[in-house]
Amino acid sequence: MAKARIRELTKDIPKEAKILCDTMLADLEKAKRPVLEAVKCALDNSFYSPKVGYLTPGDKVVKTELNVSSVQKMARTIFLLEVLLGNLKSGAVNTKREIYYISKGLMKSNPTYKALDFDDQPESDAVIDFICDMLEVYREEMNCFANDRGGQTYSKNLVVTETLSDGTTAVVDVGSLGTTPFQPKNKPQTFRLKPKKGKVDFCLVVESEGTANTLVTNGMHRRHNCIIIGAQGVPSNGVRGWCKTIEDQLKVPMFFYGDLDAYTLQNIFRTLKAGSAASLIRNSDFSAPDVKFLGVLPDDVKRYDLLCYSVNERDVAEARSLKKAKDALENDPFFRDKKNSDLADILHWLVKEKKRCEQQAVFSVDPKDPLILEKVIVDKIKRKSYV
Amino acid sequence: MSKITSSSTAEYFAKNLQQVGFSSPSKAVLTTLKEAVDNSLDACEDAGILPELEVEITKLGPGHTRNTDLVQIAVEDNGPGLDPEELAKVFGEYLASSKFGRGRCSRGQQGIGISAATTWAQLTNASGVKVISKTKNMRKAVSAVIDVDIKGNRGLVKKKETVDWDKSHGLRVEFRIDGRIVLNGDGGLLTYLEGTTLVNPHLSMRYKLIDQEPVNIERVANEVPDIPAATLPHPHTMKLGEFMTHAGLYGKISLENFFKKGFSRVSDTSIKEIAKKLPKGLMVKNLMTVKEDEFKKIYTAMHEVELVAPSTRSVLTVGEEGLSKSIQRLGEVDFFSVVTRKPTICDFKPVVVEVAIARFKDRGNGPDGHEQPAQLLRFANRVPLQFDKGACAITRAVETVNWRTYGLNQPKDSVPTGPFVFAISVTSPFIKFKNASKETIDGGDDLIEEIRRALMQAGQKLSRHIRAEGKAADLERKISHIEKFGPILVEGLARIVGAPKSRIEKAQEGLRKLLGRDASHAEKDLEEATSKLQILKAREAKKLGLPDDEELPSEAVVEEHENAAADTPDDETPAKGTKKSAGTRKKK
Ligand SMILES: Nc1ncnc2c1ncn2[C@@H]1O[C@H](COP(=O)(O)OP(=O)(O)OP(=O)(O)O)[C@@H](O)[C@H]1O
Ligand SMILES: [Mg+2]
Repeated sequence: MAKARIRELTKDIPKEAKILCDTMLADLEKAKRPVLEAVKCALDNSFYSPKVGYLTPGDKVVKTELNVSSVQKMARTIFLLEVLLGNLKSGAVNTKREIYYISKGLMKSNPTYKALDFDDQPESDAVIDFICDMLEVYREEMNCFANDRGGQTYSKNLVVTETLSDGTTAVVDVGSLGTTPFQPKNKPQTFRLKPKKGKVDFCLVVESEGTANTLVTNGMHRRHNCIIIGAQGVPSNGVRGWCKTIEDQLKVPMFFYGDLDAYTLQNIFRTLKAGSAASLIRNSDFSAPDVKFLGVLPDDVKRYDLLCYSVNERDVAEARSLKKAKDALENDPFFRDKKNSDLADILHWLVKEKKRCEQQAVFSVDPKDPLILEKVIVDKIKRKSYV
Repeated sequence: MSKITSSSTAEYFAKNLQQVGFSSPSKAVLTTLKEAVDNSLDACEDAGILPELEVEITKLGPGHTRNTDLVQIAVEDNGPGLDPEELAKVFGEYLASSKFGRGRCSRGQQGIGISAATTWAQLTNASGVKVISKTKNMRKAVSAVIDVDIKGNRGLVKKKETVDWDKSHGLRVEFRIDGRIVLNGDGGLLTYLEGTTLVNPHLSMRYKLIDQEPVNIERVANEVPDIPAATLPHPHTMKLGEFMTHAGLYGKISLENFFKKGFSRVSDTSIKEIAKKLPKGLMVKNLMTVKEDEFKKIYTAMHEVELVAPSTRSVLTVGEEGLSKSIQRLGEVDFFSVVTRKPTICDFKPVVVEVAIARFKDRGNGPDGHEQPAQLLRFANRVPLQFDKGACAITRAVETVNWRTYGLNQPKDSVPTGPFVFAISVTSPFIKFKNASKETIDGGDDLIEEIRRALMQAGQKLSRHIRAEGKAADLERKISHIEKFGPILVEGLARIVGAPKSRIEKAQEGLRKLLGRDASHAEKDLEEATSKLQILKAREAKKLGLPDDEELPSEAVVEEHENAAADTPDDETPAKGTKKSAGTRKKK
């Protein structure tokens, strides 16, 4: 079997890289300034259409033309490109931090590279990101993986089949793992998913990994034919790719449950559903456009009389998140789209009420009932109380 | 019922010496030195003499108070000297001053300074001040020790004798006090002496501080500053209490005459206008009989009437030429910039602000190699202000200027960093201090804005130098960049492509051509900046009648400074509208 791929990538990365370098070299031979172009990954170059479902790049590009100031950046780019191409050839994988140390090692052993030396990891990370944006490939496709947090998955009705690089397959029955979660790594897009029998009713992504664990320990996944995933904050690439794969292959309704505040809505939920401005070229494979925001909703606050915190505008972090919410309403194409007006309304509510409500607040509704959150969630799904 | 006693003025000050600069052993040494030097400079200036001072500070042994040394402070001048009969009054009596409330820009103002120093010496070492004095009319000098009679606010003369002195006139004072010697830093003795040097180009001074090498400073100006005639206060500058006290000084005259004699800028028409707002007859009433509630009415009326702003003729400046020369006496200067503003009115008081900024070759970096904050020298009527800088209007002004525009490093809302000295001098016959020890200027928005303007002008001049320097560094960086990164880039590309040697060589050559073009751009920039600087330097030198290599007039650079901030990096420009084909591009 061929090597596992995140997507049907039509381009041959080593070949593309070679062409790029050849063009640069030819330019230099003619004493012409080579120019590197990369998609501009920023909110002002992001577009959203509900039909597509995720943020896509516009036609703005970041150009780096060779001159005395940029020659260092270019030399670093070509240097790291060579390292990454080497990995692709040998099949080796690395994290960004490992790449940082590999670079340091090369620089140490070869004095001509000294000048390129990175002061810290963010410097080499930025170059790696630039290479990916330039070639329009995913970092994972360059065999560079982050330590993906989160994504702990529990279900009684899910079987995952993975084809390994040596051609063998691994089959994991998630329901047989007890309280141990299944956690996807590297390229979850390459997994084959199947319910054990019939269909899965729904998939629930919980912001807090701890709360997901509580639901599972109390037996929610035994009582209901569902998949429960802990997101552990802002979803990592692994979590995003995993949710995308579940949505695509199992066609189950997916719900997100987390805090009612600007941060959760913008940074966590929006990224899960439509990707982010920083990852414009990869959102198509790293977002789950059909996920619904189950709560906590402003309606829930009213209905269950949930305990709220007032946002302290003198607290720098809280004030900033409030300002970000206002900015999002003005500038974020995702929240500005008519189709997402219900989500924008939540942001409006947050800005106006200056309140926030945590996902665990539901436990105050009936302190004696350990299953209260499960009941509320199931009830909300039944009532179609989501956005 | 206990009797209310009125203690003598001397008694009051003896108990409250901390209020006038004697709040710690180290401050006591500084204040004593300062009072003596300020007096010498004032006296010389009054008599039209070019001052020649000799200062010596010696540690004689342990002090009587715990953790102090017995410190001797000797200051000798070539001023007019004092008649023997005056000694007791000057050194032993409080509020005995020839300068009190004169409305002149003298250093001393109150008649407290030197008597307080005598009191401190007496309190800590049981002996007042030793004085030698000779006026030009005396054949021999007189030497005496003056004590303060604290109960009677009088001076007591002891050990009076005539002595030979090889000076035609002058005064020498010697204090022995408990104190501690601090040389450097904001409150240091050296800082005071350097500051005094800076704003007194006409001063020659020799000083020897404890075991340090003696320092000899020659004057760089040969004229005694012309102290403008005194001016009367402007009515609008006064608070009610001050107004009433001021009236007390004039006593038996009518209110009308008080307005005419006690103030500047109150014309007959203004008096008529004020009179209209007052009960009949009050304007001609004897000042002695005016009651408090009447004063309130007069005060309000006086503020309601518009008056001409006070004259600015009463203020004194050191001048750009003097500052330019004087600042070079403080050490080896890389470059500097000076600004003397035109006299102006702030809060109804005439003031003039002067600024000198210099970068020194041997200052600035801390022991860890980090940039230290620039040294700030503040002056009020040419007296260095050395304490409580955080509260001072001058500091506030320095912190609110954006120095980064002029190429200096500046942490947010702070004094800039680097091997710079910032000297800011505010001169006014009516300086408002925040407290009795005259350590911080109390400034309204007007004054702060005026100081900021002076600072910004000086900053503009400075940026000229810094820019030329920056361009030189830029060129160097660019050339080294080419040498460092060029070959790595080409070889990397060649390895990925698998290119033959011939291509590598050709590409190397092309790269050198390209980047060489950039370097020659940078070279041109440098040349331009340098020649601009030269032209302006020459212009300034001509203006000041100085040899070349001096400063440029502020006006000459103002219009050119806009470009200073317009330098932007050119490597990454997001190009709008450049078509790229990839992924889904949907526009709304
Ligand atoms: N070195 C000197 N030579 C000649 N006259 C002096 C000298 N020192 C002091 N005097 C005279 O003695 C007076 C009193 O000095 P003193 O320092 O007490 O007060 P001041 O300088 O007027 O005010 P301040 O209290 O603000 O210092 C001065 O006004 C001056 O006339
Ligand atoms: Mg004095």
